[in-house]
Amino acid sequence: MAGINEYVILSCVLFGLGTIGFLTRRNALILFMSVELMLNSINLMLVAFSAARADMGGQVMVLFIFAVAAAEVAVGLAILICLFKHVHSVDINKFNVLKW
Amino acid sequence: MNDLNFSFDFFHLWQVIGGQLILIVAGLILILADIAMLKLDEDVRSRRLGWLTVIIFALTAAHMMSREWGLHNIVFMGIFSADKFSIFVSIVMVLSGLLAALMSIGYLQNNDVMKGEYYILMIYAVAGAIGLVQSVDLLMMFITLEVMSLAIYALAAFLKNNRFSQEGALKYFLLGSFGSAFFLFGVAVIYGVTGTINLTKIAQSIAGGLYTNPAILLAFAMLSVGLFFKMAMVPFHMWTPDVYEGSPSVITGFMATAVKAAAFGVFVKLLFVTFTPMLSQSGQPDFQNTINLAALGAYWKPVLWWLALLTMFFGNLIAVSQQNVKRMLAYSSIAHAGYMAVGIIAANGDGRMGVLFYLFSYTLMNLGAFGVIYLIDGKERNAQTLEDYRGLGYKYPALGFLMGLFLVAMAGLPPTAGFIAKFYVFAAAIKEGYFLLAALGVMTSVIGAYYYLRVIYMMYMKDEVRDVVRGPVAMPTVIALVITAIGVIYLGILPEQLANIANAAQQSLSMIF
Repeated sequence: MAGINEYVILSCVLFGLGTIGFLTRRNALILFMSVELMLNSINLMLVAFSAARADMGGQVMVLFIFAVAAAEVAVGLAILICLFKHVHSVDINKFNVLKW
Repeated sequence: MNDLNFSFDFFHLWQVIGGQLILIVAGLILILADIAMLKLDEDVRSRRLGWLTVIIFALTAAHMMSREWGLHNIVFMGIFSADKFSIFVSIVMVLSGLLAALMSIGYLQNNDVMKGEYYILMIYAVAGAIGLVQSVDLLMMFITLEVMSLAIYALAAFLKNNRFSQEGALKYFLLGSFGSAFFLFGVAVIYGVTGTINLTKIAQSIAGGLYTNPAILLAFAMLSVGLFFKMAMVPFHMWTPDVYEGSPSVITGFMATAVKAAAFGVFVKLLFVTFTPMLSQSGQPDFQNTINLAALGAYWKPVLWWLALLTMFFGNLIAVSQQNVKRMLAYSSIAHAGYMAVGIIAANGDGRMGVLFYLFSYTLMNLGAFGVIYLIDGKERNAQTLEDYRGLGYKYPALGFLMGLFLVAMAGLPPTAGFIAKFYVFAAAIKEGYFLLAALGVMTSVIGAYYYLRVIYMMYMKDEVRDVVRGPVAMPTVIALVITAIGVIYLGILPEQLANIANAAQQSLSMIF
């Protein structure tokens, strides 16, 4: 049976992977997925803390975060589709009309 | 989390979050009103929705101001508090929404995007922003932060056929959600360490000895990073120029002011309610003698010192090299975030008062400037270069005067609100012994004066007068510009009244217990 530490370490590792993915990948969809990975690593951490503290609060928070993440993706994908109509690509290096 | 009080009292609810309720219900009604008016012409419908939105914002502001000003320290279910500080920042954001809605009426006609969603998104953005500064609960802070941000992302992408708008919106979305993830990480760690997400209970845990806990420090750093993205502090500013340039001009003004006010409000609240509880003259929380406030300040002050300095220098220096006026104002808005951070570093009553005053006057002058800018928007590219301003002051004396006034205010020259605001924050920093920071700050604002005044110089170049103003200036825009101009001058000459209100507002932070 894994203790709280293992869960926290795992979720920190996942959060770190999400961050690295966000900073290094160039595909906008992969960036979305990286942010989702970060949010879900936080969910894992909250559930672990919730279980360790025998407090339902953390699990309630997870439900809220699911809802927010879903709304976020809906808006994000809509914007990406609108941009795709102009650029015909999801490579963020091609989103370069705005720069100094 | 376990001790929520579920007794439901509508009057209590109305007192605490009446402003949000008005906006949320009115947003729903506007959706229906938009459908009910389907038979009308697009432009008539859009104009009516715009005026309705203005009325709704005015009602919200009236509700907030009519609440007994002495009323504080009321908390709804441990989630929202109606202290003077939150109300003050909320009024700034409602004012920003009101002025932006007035300008939007003309903007949408000019750009031929007469869609009802625009105003509804704006209302929900303000509702989210009010919730953000009113919340005393980290989960509710995250949710309202997202409500505000999602509405703003959609607004930034509102010009569907404009590639710049879409690209700016996507960049904003990606970096915004990245920042929110950091904020949420901080929330999760704080929940794990302290077992609560209520600001005052966290404050008690920290005071009880947790303040040396590295996990708490990490969590606060993460929360701050999430907010720094919204505040556009260097090095979390990368999205700002692109988004401000690409977005519809009125929305740029709106998000530069409302979102900044919300992020600064909630950052000040986190710092001075939870992390470094401030000393109050009356009703001191019992734990304040047990911790060394100076020791707590030592954790975040040096970090914020460098961030503020970098923000002021970077924002002003890069702005000098910009040819596009919207982009220049984006960098200038980064610099303004740095000035406001100076007020936070001072960490005294004057500093917090200065930040509040700064937010109010920045809202007026920035929205005013964008109200003029939208009139000069290019058809192709939703932005314009310095050259487009050539001779504006001769062709349109009133517009030239107003733009000049707003730019002078942003440069921080007397007798405008911008000067007083800068004076308050720098004076507060000097009072606490931050001479170097204040001196460097004033130096950067001299650099800032150069690029603001360059636009004015351009407007009064006689040689080649360009006619770039598109269409007649709509009446609501005139109203909004007059309000902002009067506000900027009034606050520059008689700042006492607002300063007193802001001072009362910042004192109420010590009473959210």
